[in-house]
Amino acid sequence: MTAENSSQGSGPEALKPEEELRAGRSPLKDAWRQLLRNRLAVASGIFLILLTLVAIFVDTSIFTIFTGGKPEPLLAPYHYAEVDFLHPNEGLFTRTEEGDFYIFGVDYLGRDILSRTLYAARVSLAVAIVAATVSLIVGITYGLISGYSSTRTDNLMMRFVDFLYGFPIIIFIILMQVYFKALSRHGGGEGLAGTLINIDRAMGGIFFLFIAIGLLNWLGMARIARGQTLQYKEMEFVEAARMVGASNWRIIGRHLLPNILGPCVVYETLQIPGYIFLEAFLSFIGLGVNPPTPSWGIMISETYQALRTYPHEVFVPAVALTLTTLAFNFLGDGLRDAFDPRLRGEV
Amino acid sequence: MKRKLFTLMAIGVAASMILAACGAPQEVVKTVVVTEVVEGEVVERVVTATPEAAGPMPVTVHYNWGTEPPTADPALTTDTTSSSVIDSIFMGLTDIDLETKQAIPALAESWEATEDKIEWTFHLRDDVPWVRYNPTAGEVEQVLDDEGNPRMVNAHDVVYGIKRVCDPNTASDYAWLLYVISGCEELNTTDPEAENFQEVYDAMGVEALDDYTVKITLAYGAGYFPQVTTMANLFPVYQPIIEEKGDRWIEPGFIVTNGAYVMTEWVHGDHMNLAKNPFWPYWGTDYGSGNIEQLVGYMIEEDSTTFAMYENNEIDTSGVPSDQIDRVKADPVLSKEFVNSPVNCTYYYGFVTEKAPVNDVKVRKALSMGIDRKTLVDAVLKGGQIPANAFTNPLNFGSWGGDPEIAPWALPEDMGGWGYAKAKEEASALLAEAGYPDGEGLDILLMHNVSEGHARIAQAVQAMWQEAFPGMTVSIETQEWRVYLDTIRATTAIEDVPHVFRLGWCGDYPHANNWLHEVFNTEEGANRIRLSYDDPQVGDLVKEYDETTKAAQVADEEEAKALYKRAEQLLVDEIVGIAPMYFYTTVNVTKPWLHRSYDPIQLSLFQWTLDMDAKTAAMR
Amino acid sequence: MTRYIIRRILWFIPVLIGITLVTFVLARAMPGGPFDFAGDRTIPASVVANLEKKYHLDWPVWRQYGQWVLDLLRGDLGPSFRYRSLMVQDILRQTFPVSFQLGILSMLLGLAIGIPAGTIAALNHNKSLDYVSSFVAILGVSIPNVVLAPFLVWIFGLRLGWFPVARWGADYTQFIFGILPPLTADFWLHAAMPTVALGTGISASIARLTRASLLQVIREDYIRTARAKGLKERVVIWVHAMKNALIPVVTIIGPLFAAIVTGTFVVEQIFGISGMGQHFVDSVNNRDYPIVMGVTLLYSVLLVIANLVVDVTYAWLDPRIRYD
Repeated sequence: MTAENSSQGSGPEALKPEEELRAGRSPLKDAWRQLLRNRLAVASGIFLILLTLVAIFVDTSIFTIFTGGKPEPLLAPYHYAEVDFLHPNEGLFTRTEEGDFYIFGVDYLGRDILSRTLYAARVSLAVAIVAATVSLIVGITYGLISGYSSTRTDNLMMRFVDFLYGFPIIIFIILMQVYFKALSRHGGGEGLAGTLINIDRAMGGIFFLFIAIGLLNWLGMARIARGQTLQYKEMEFVEAARMVGASNWRIIGRHLLPNILGPCVVYETLQIPGYIFLEAFLSFIGLGVNPPTPSWGIMISETYQALRTYPHEVFVPAVALTLTTLAFNFLGDGLRDAFDPRLRGEV
Repeated sequence: MKRKLFTLMAIGVAASMILAACGAPQEVVKTVVVTEVVEGEVVERVVTATPEAAGPMPVTVHYNWGTEPPTADPALTTDTTSSSVIDSIFMGLTDIDLETKQAIPALAESWEATEDKIEWTFHLRDDVPWVRYNPTAGEVEQVLDDEGNPRMVNAHDVVYGIKRVCDPNTASDYAWLLYVISGCEELNTTDPEAENFQEVYDAMGVEALDDYTVKITLAYGAGYFPQVTTMANLFPVYQPIIEEKGDRWIEPGFIVTNGAYVMTEWVHGDHMNLAKNPFWPYWGTDYGSGNIEQLVGYMIEEDSTTFAMYENNEIDTSGVPSDQIDRVKADPVLSKEFVNSPVNCTYYYGFVTEKAPVNDVKVRKALSMGIDRKTLVDAVLKGGQIPANAFTNPLNFGSWGGDPEIAPWALPEDMGGWGYAKAKEEASALLAEAGYPDGEGLDILLMHNVSEGHARIAQAVQAMWQEAFPGMTVSIETQEWRVYLDTIRATTAIEDVPHVFRLGWCGDYPHANNWLHEVFNTEEGANRIRLSYDDPQVGDLVKEYDETTKAAQVADEEEAKALYKRAEQLLVDEIVGIAPMYFYTTVNVTKPWLHRSYDPIQLSLFQWTLDMDAKTAAMR
Repeated sequence: MTRYIIRRILWFIPVLIGITLVTFVLARAMPGGPFDFAGDRTIPASVVANLEKKYHLDWPVWRQYGQWVLDLLRGDLGPSFRYRSLMVQDILRQTFPVSFQLGILSMLLGLAIGIPAGTIAALNHNKSLDYVSSFVAILGVSIPNVVLAPFLVWIFGLRLGWFPVARWGADYTQFIFGILPPLTADFWLHAAMPTVALGTGISASIARLTRASLLQVIREDYIRTARAKGLKERVVIWVHAMKNALIPVVTIIGPLFAAIVTGTFVVEQIFGISGMGQHFVDSVNNRDYPIVMGVTLLYSVLLVIANLVVDVTYAWLDPRIRYD
């Protein structure tokens, strides 16, 4: 136990000494302080916040939602679909006779790469965050329950996971595509289906993409969480908690969860580039964003063959992707470090 | 504990080994593994090839088939890779002259038809033997008949080959191609268990008048029939080997062929090699002017990988990935090896003419006019493709592609057309007339199947339309290939189809009938654009179209050409059922020591020449 | 433990039946049958009916599935719809070993680099060695195969000419026991770049997981006890800490093994390697149901075996884990 001077001073918020001890330091505040000490994590966090701001303000759509009308590019110099047939594939720092300036060059249709990369942040970030969250929540819950339960239940639950794993994804994807696209084409409807379809339309076709990615990815998380749970549930502190009379749910939530969170979060941050590429693959197969909406995954898979001829078309989105992945990873690491009950107390 | 784990690991390894087939350990010698069905059991016989005798290197070309050929059986082929293989190892009644696109003799020396073009008689050569490759001896040998003489290809083989395609037991996907022959459709739709099956089989309109004469009776007059017989599906095959080996008769070591080359080795998914058939009678003539003795054929699907192998001198000819075209043209060495060659395919966007708002011919025409084909070809595709103002590719008999009398608004000025500026103006006027000034109120869905190339073109066209008609909305949707084909069928419900869909057509045989009639005829074609006599605007024109293409089937040459001109005019300019975009080309690089032709289907390997000395010198 | 293993093996049957049955049914639910189109030509209905009859697609689904199972028990997986002269078991026999070899090599590379790298990083937590190796690892995870592979081909294949640019170094006519490759120089030369392309991503993942896990384990009490007992640091780490630290690593290796070994489409495509990966994707696109079933079956079998091995390894690594 770390000693910490908890002199709160006097005043209306001052706590009585016993309450103070019991209230102690909130784990959350501790973690936050720990996180702030990790410079890389902080830098990554700032980067991601900036990226999110860019994603929001890349054009004026945040305003046009309320005022109506077509969104215009704001932070991006050009609209992502603005073509320039006269100057395809030009490289970095191209200035054309018509007065256009393309910092990172243009792609095969003459569209500004910088603008497309910025717009693409929206799709890639949204996919990454939503998919990771869904996967974490579903996977950890499933894995915790499975790992903590009796062997029979564990067995059944894991066999179900095996079953889902063995199933060829592509069939699933095609069937989902057929089903969802058919739904959406039959126009907006009433009820739940109708609402879902309208949301999807508004988001350029990526809503169903999120669902698809989430549904396809919680399995690995479940296995990791279960493995960790199996390990931790045999430990003394769990034993102790049980003896004190803690209910199963309390053990799971208060004792096991914080311990397994570490590797789970790290695993999840490792999955994020995978999600972005899964999104590109799905878009390629027709279940993703509709062209010309850009995403980093699509930008890379459209241009990797031209690596030797027009490297800028590949490298700009690839660098954006790498930086974002780095940020998620360092941040993930920092979070794990911050939340680890054992790391706390070591300065 | 450790021991248990070890045991488990051992079980795991053993399990994966059990998953593999049991076979005798093989040494690292080039072997041909021949699998046969012996009395119902599958047995493997390992046949070891004798190492080649040392001597001058045979003239060898290194080639890429592009993918594993789904089959080498003429009756079952439906794709270009299989056809390329079959064209090299088999020979049919006729072949196509690559210049004139007319039928020339191959297995048949001559042929004639009755006035009504219904009865055709083919006279065969008598000096083409059936051959097979003997892997143990490493040579090509002729198949012998009962008296020990070389067994020549005869009329019975031709009859068997053709009937086999229509035979429902063969389950040929392309049987319908032969429905032009009388009795084929009946045979193909008769239940093999039915009592009258043998009768129907015998009644089909193909018979051997004698050992070297074949008479074919068609279901209707078709002047283009000698071009139909160039297709791989009608090639003769050797009955005894098929009856003996069943589905496996095409494996190397079993397969019996009659063409310029034989299959020596086929390692599925990896490579297929061919060797010269010395018994083929055309060697040394104009038709068989080549000198290739061996072909080593890989199966690389990825364009950039193939190109890398070319740069590494591992193959002698390769396609150029579209992103590398600029670099190749600028490179001092590669630019000299660069070849741009026409291909018998047309890329087009079809309109579902029953679906609003493209059910209005003015809207369709405006959209077709609004595509800047020249920019598409020059800036986006860059493969030397040709803007198309007609459907039939110029490589076919009866084509009017490139003639500015047809749909001049589709052609750029340097091809004698209006050019895009004028076309765009006209298009805007048309749209305003139709009730959509500047495209205001127009909401179009464009669909294509998943492919990077199609996506580029679709996005380019979307941008062109948005720029020309700022008020309109264009959305793009993609679907997986088979789902896509299923969606755009003529029978799909109208809410589920798009307004505009992308397709391409490659000729089965080089005659406009295969294009204008077989694709868009309202009865006999796939008719995905849903042409109908009942259309209030163009119904009469559609009727005229059907009649025109039907009449061209029996007309003589000059008349047929004129009829096809009218048909194109109707299809592209007056009915505007489709918006033809461009005629395909192939972009290749070929090593300087290889001289070859570039038609992707008629490989004509036997006309390629390779300077082996130059090649070996360069590889050193 | 033995009872546990036996029970798990008994579970194989229902799981496999579940997977294959669902796949069987859903494959046929996809729009567009295997014979409806050839190229983009629509095949007339009568011809389609004919073809479907030959392959029993006109039977009720349950009967088709039953027949498939019966044939399977005889070792016959049926003829491919697309490659008419080949049986599915032939195709698997020809392509699976290649993917298997590539997969094993990549996994070995991944483990050989990943575990030491992760360990070094964890033992030097928050020092420069940690940062450097973490950075490199994340880089490895962030660079997609689709960019790395052509890049390798360009530099090491074309520019330097060290390695051949495509194909695998041995084909199915040369495999020992049908699955092991002849270990010739030619084989290694061809295997080098694909293994690196595939293995870097794996080693990065493993390095990260090892690091995270080891970091946690080192701070546990029993490690402190071991140190206090005076054991050499090396022993403490490798004998006591690693076993527990490797549990998350083992968790992902199981399914990863099954997935990698059944072929990675991208790497196989780019290097022109004729492995099973292409069949995974193409068979669905071609609606070649027999290959879909064959490939799914093989993948599922490997998966359930791999998962069992993983679970048993858990128990070996951490004696506190019990399966009662």
